[in-house]
Amino acid sequence: MNPGLIELKEVAKYYHMGESIVKAVDGMNIKVHDGDFVAIMGSSGSGKSTAMNLVGSLDLATKGDIYLDGINIETLDESDLAQIRGKKIGFIFQQFNLIPNLTAKENVMLPMMFQGVSADDRSSRAEKLLKLVELSDRMDHYPGQLSGGEQQRVAIARALANDPDVILADEPTGNLDTKTGEKVMAFLEDFNKKGKTIIMVTHDPKLAHEHAKIIYQIKDGKVERKLKKVNKKWKPFR
Amino acid sequence: MIRKEIINYSLRNLVHKKSRSILTIFSILIGITAIFIFISFGLGLYNYVNDFKTSSSADKITVMPKGMSAPGMDESFALTDKDISAIEKTSGVYQATGLYSKVAEVKQSSIIRYVFLLGFDPDKPLIMELSNVKVIEGRMLKSGDDGKVILGYNYRIENKIFSKAYSLNDEIEIQGKKLKIIGFMQEVGSPQDDSQIYTTTDFLPSLYPVAKVNYAMAVARVDISNIKQVVENVEKELRKERGLEEGKEDFFVQSFQEMLDTYATALNVIIYFVVLIALVSVIVSAINTANTMVTSVLERVKEIGVIKSIGARNSEIFFIFLFESGFLGFVGGVIGVIIGFNFTLVTGAFLAKLGWSFLAPSYSVYLFLGCILFATLTGAISGAVPAYQASKIRPVDALRYE
Repeated sequence: MNPGLIELKEVAKYYHMGESIVKAVDGMNIKVHDGDFVAIMGSSGSGKSTAMNLVGSLDLATKGDIYLDGINIETLDESDLAQIRGKKIGFIFQQFNLIPNLTAKENVMLPMMFQGVSADDRSSRAEKLLKLVELSDRMDHYPGQLSGGEQQRVAIARALANDPDVILADEPTGNLDTKTGEKVMAFLEDFNKKGKTIIMVTHDPKLAHEHAKIIYQIKDGKVERKLKKVNKKWKPFR
Repeated sequence: MIRKEIINYSLRNLVHKKSRSILTIFSILIGITAIFIFISFGLGLYNYVNDFKTSSSADKITVMPKGMSAPGMDESFALTDKDISAIEKTSGVYQATGLYSKVAEVKQSSIIRYVFLLGFDPDKPLIMELSNVKVIEGRMLKSGDDGKVILGYNYRIENKIFSKAYSLNDEIEIQGKKLKIIGFMQEVGSPQDDSQIYTTTDFLPSLYPVAKVNYAMAVARVDISNIKQVVENVEKELRKERGLEEGKEDFFVQSFQEMLDTYATALNVIIYFVVLIALVSVIVSAINTANTMVTSVLERVKEIGVIKSIGARNSEIFFIFLFESGFLGFVGGVIGVIIGFNFTLVTGAFLAKLGWSFLAPSYSVYLFLGCILFATLTGAISGAVPAYQASKIRPVDALRYE
């Protein structure tokens, strides 16, 4: 069987809150294949944010195994993990999370810097990516000088910087109005068509149903339902 | 991995937080400026003392009246020619000579000044070797130089002692007599020494016809290898000569070496003390730098999370913060040294103008480099702890941080 690009096997994440233990994620199984558009959906407190951190290898599991491109991330040290994360996963955050003292172009160049890409290559690739998200005329602007939608498009360009296999988007439209949100989603869909794997975390069923191909519905730290779009209809799968 | 880009990234941060960076640099440079000033003046004093130690003064001892008064002021104490010859006969003493030291009235137009007039034997110029001052213009006194004097440095300068400066071969009115100037001494650096007048022991008594003039002190050149023993021998011989019991001497014998050692010890204590004060200010500025760095880390936890999520290694984050604090230290050090250097130049020149030229700053390459290195290390070390903590923050925690 195809090992999958990202795989969570019986993963659990517990937090200590004083005396009690909070089981944010408890026995979760998720498998993402190359080229998928996956939505991890759930209401707040369902454990979807914890799930996203685990999928993005930003956090380590209490129990279970997480595989990134066939490698168990538990076996990697912090530095290797940072390198792999930088190369394989592009993050898009709800808060955009651009670095305020760098221009749009420099923000896009930053992930490539940590991968040791030469300055010339970084510059030309950043320009290309910003053109792709239709921000050629905003390259030398600082985040503070950009609108929310523009900032999120810079973040998308940054996520694509190292040509990752997976784009991990956490509520990508959460801080945007409907129209700008649509535009951002259109970009994500476009990248998916071009072969990128997209994992989107959202609380919004409409967003998930409209754009994703696979939905993991999360409740109480477990996958409650797995749905797949077949001929425009949602069907459960195993 | 340390890359140009990461350094660039740090610099961008520092520029972005301009006022914070400037304040941090300021707090470091105050400490460094203080250290630089203290050490350069301390070094100057140290060199001044060291010059004496290796000079012709080292093999001299002096015999002076006991008590607080300066030689020549206490008329009740007198050294006679018999005393001098007793000193000269003591084992370990090569040569001894008596010195007159009197207060003299010097007049220019209607202005009168009272200065010290020193009479020494030109054939035994031990006092000149002791004080280590040389004639810079004209010539030294020689025996038979009646009515001739050598003046201290300050007489050559307008408005220092008198409004008009004296030059070689001029006449100067001392004790109501016109005397010929045959030379000037080099600058010593203290107003009293630089206003002194020198003449011969043969001639000096004729300026004081009323009273009998006695030697105010004696100087002897001695065997330096056993200077302590020589001092004791001289004390013993003088006691015998003057008929005094041990412990009731009206004179005291001091070797120049001993005097310098005491002086140097006292000076070292002062130097250590000022360096200590400067160190305290450096510690304060280090704490301030650490404080700035901790705040800076807390402020940027989220940024740390972001750059971690896009591939920054712990080591790279550590380096970013370490470089930032080290760089602030370096800049503070450079500016501090520049300010300190200029300050010592100005105050050194000012002190020299006041006649305190022995308080001259002294510099060495190590002082400059040391201060800058010290500032850089202070910055780096005070930034290291928060930098290490910053690098250890887990991306998930950092991203959640608001």
